[in-house]
Amino acid sequence: MEYLYTIAILMALNVILASSFNFVIGYGGLISIAHPVFYAIGAYGSALLARDGGVPVLLAIPAGALIALAASVLVALPSVRISGDYLLIGSIGVQLGILEAIKNVGWTGGAGGLTNIPALLRPGTDHGVYVALVVALAVLSVLLLHWITRSGYGRAMSAMRDDELAFAALGRNAVAMKVAIFALGCGLAGLAGGLYAHYFRFLAPAQFDILQSAALLTMVVVGGMRSTFGPILGAIVLEVLPQAITFLDLPAGLLGPMQGILFTGLVLVFMFIRPQGLIAAGSVWRGRALEEGHAGQS
Amino acid sequence: MTDVAAIERAAGLTRRAVLGGLGAIGAGAGAGALHAEPAPLRFGLAMPMTGGQATYGQDQVKAAQWGIEAVNAAGGVNGRMIEAVILDTQADARTGIEAVNRLISVEKVPVFVTAWSEVVKAVAPIANDSRVVELSVGANSPEIARLGDYVYTTFPLAEVDITAVARYSATTLGRKRAAVLFINNETGITAAQVYRNAFTRAGAQIVAYEAYDPKATDWTGQILKVRLASPDIIHIQGLVADTPQLIAQLRQLGMTQTISSYSAIYNPRLIQQLGQAANGVIATSLAPGASDSPAVKAYVERWKKEVGREPNGLPYTQYLYDVPFLITTVFRSLDDHGRPITGESFREQMVAIGTFQLPLTGKLAINPDHTVNKSVYLMQVQNGAWTQLAMVG
Repeated sequence: MEYLYTIAILMALNVILASSFNFVIGYGGLISIAHPVFYAIGAYGSALLARDGGVPVLLAIPAGALIALAASVLVALPSVRISGDYLLIGSIGVQLGILEAIKNVGWTGGAGGLTNIPALLRPGTDHGVYVALVVALAVLSVLLLHWITRSGYGRAMSAMRDDELAFAALGRNAVAMKVAIFALGCGLAGLAGGLYAHYFRFLAPAQFDILQSAALLTMVVVGGMRSTFGPILGAIVLEVLPQAITFLDLPAGLLGPMQGILFTGLVLVFMFIRPQGLIAAGSVWRGRALEEGHAGQS
Repeated sequence: MTDVAAIERAAGLTRRAVLGGLGAIGAGAGAGALHAEPAPLRFGLAMPMTGGQATYGQDQVKAAQWGIEAVNAAGGVNGRMIEAVILDTQADARTGIEAVNRLISVEKVPVFVTAWSEVVKAVAPIANDSRVVELSVGANSPEIARLGDYVYTTFPLAEVDITAVARYSATTLGRKRAAVLFINNETGITAAQVYRNAFTRAGAQIVAYEAYDPKATDWTGQILKVRLASPDIIHIQGLVADTPQLIAQLRQLGMTQTISSYSAIYNPRLIQQLGQAANGVIATSLAPGASDSPAVKAYVERWKKEVGREPNGLPYTQYLYDVPFLITTVFRSLDDHGRPITGESFREQMVAIGTFQLPLTGKLAINPDHTVNKSVYLMQVQNGAWTQLAMVG
């Protein structure tokens, strides 16, 4: 049962991460791959507050999310003034820099990782309680993001993403909107980090590196960018599929390459065969270029 | 699970058909017929079978499988065979967590074996919460001894061999100025600290202390700093994959000082990779070599005959070969006492037995503080072959 609980928790955490990443990159149009580093900041922040600061775990987890949110604002304020390729490069720098700092600072446990993180649940408590908590928070996160993107603010986000100049010409503050989108997305990643830290109770910088960015991007692309349920489906498929493969009793020589090409292979297949992902975005969110492309074909 | 796969392959059947057939047999013939042969006693083996460390993980798993064969050939546990459930960790914390959760909750093993410090540490809370014994075999982070009641090691931690090589360098070899080059990860940082403390306690001086990135492929900056410090010995605390390249670059840049390292580089591949540049390199081994033990000699010969080469990381594979013998001893003791085999009873009995005589690594005493003591063999490359320099402890 514990195995299924672990899979369920990882799926729910990936749903929070993929949905919030979709909010930033898909709905907001902010091409950043540094999402896992805010997951790390939330995880380390919460773990250190609880372990070394004596803060109750139940308070440390939201505090970790707030630390990630604050850190993202600090990163966003200078970064969102640039866009496109430059923002992407900037986000890689942020990710590498923060992970290097975590590796080289003693109080984070350094490269060896942070151990003895207190658990949220008391010993002996059924871990199904934790599953219920994480799933509930994942559902709430998805509903929150769905509500925002379908509101008037969401339509403004769409306008900003499609034509920032026209958006600014209407008197709207694009920088403030970008910072808000980035902060909310990263704050939710931080929340997922805190939930991860107090269940698995070990953190190492390698868990939040660029491969994690690739995994999140795959979840969003495969599931369907700019749709509410796409990243959920992507997160579930990409958590379950590697697990299912291990039950096939394949030889290690075959299993290794299969798992290795799973993520990149899926992205390539979807890019060519179904670029809109498993669940296509609603028409409002498909984007002008795609609409024009379709119009041109008809 | 392995048996079902073998039946499928042999008969060309589909998995569904085999499972369906087994279900029908179970329903029709009753449980008694299925239990004519006592079920094997199982333990978990969570090792890197894929990924960057697979070269070593696969050899270690093969060694453990040979150990299981030997145990079973000798009658197993009072007639019951032992069996390992092998899962891949990729030497990665998260994959390790998933593997160990499956071993504990799906496969229901009372004890599991794992390695690589990051994985050992990541899965420790699961072992402690589930009261299932985690045996770390090969990881050497000193922190492993403090990971909880259910986490034990059969492999000496870094204090043992790193302290030995540091003391030997300072006292017997008379080196007084050491430079330490270490990889900036768990393995490197903690062991480099152990070396620094032991070397300075022996009255010598650390003149350079340089970390390098785990993904580095060029070390010119660090080497130039070391060169400026004029050491008379260079200690490298890296990984099997990067240390040969680092040594090659040190030699290319004209550094002729004695180079020491630890058990990770005690490997025939180092000599193949470096050629003449390997001469004089000192490594540690935490298990007797082929020249010290006929059993080890026969084991190495078996590798050459069946696999066509020596194992990668010979001492590590010796420890993996031995671990089924340790587990069998505990299983047998529990069976003799009529006690059920659970994680809790396994831990109690293992601690009660305390000392184990193992075929390839010799006597193993598990200390109450979760550490183990072993002799350290200091090995040096001389004339293109590893030669024993000294035995400490």
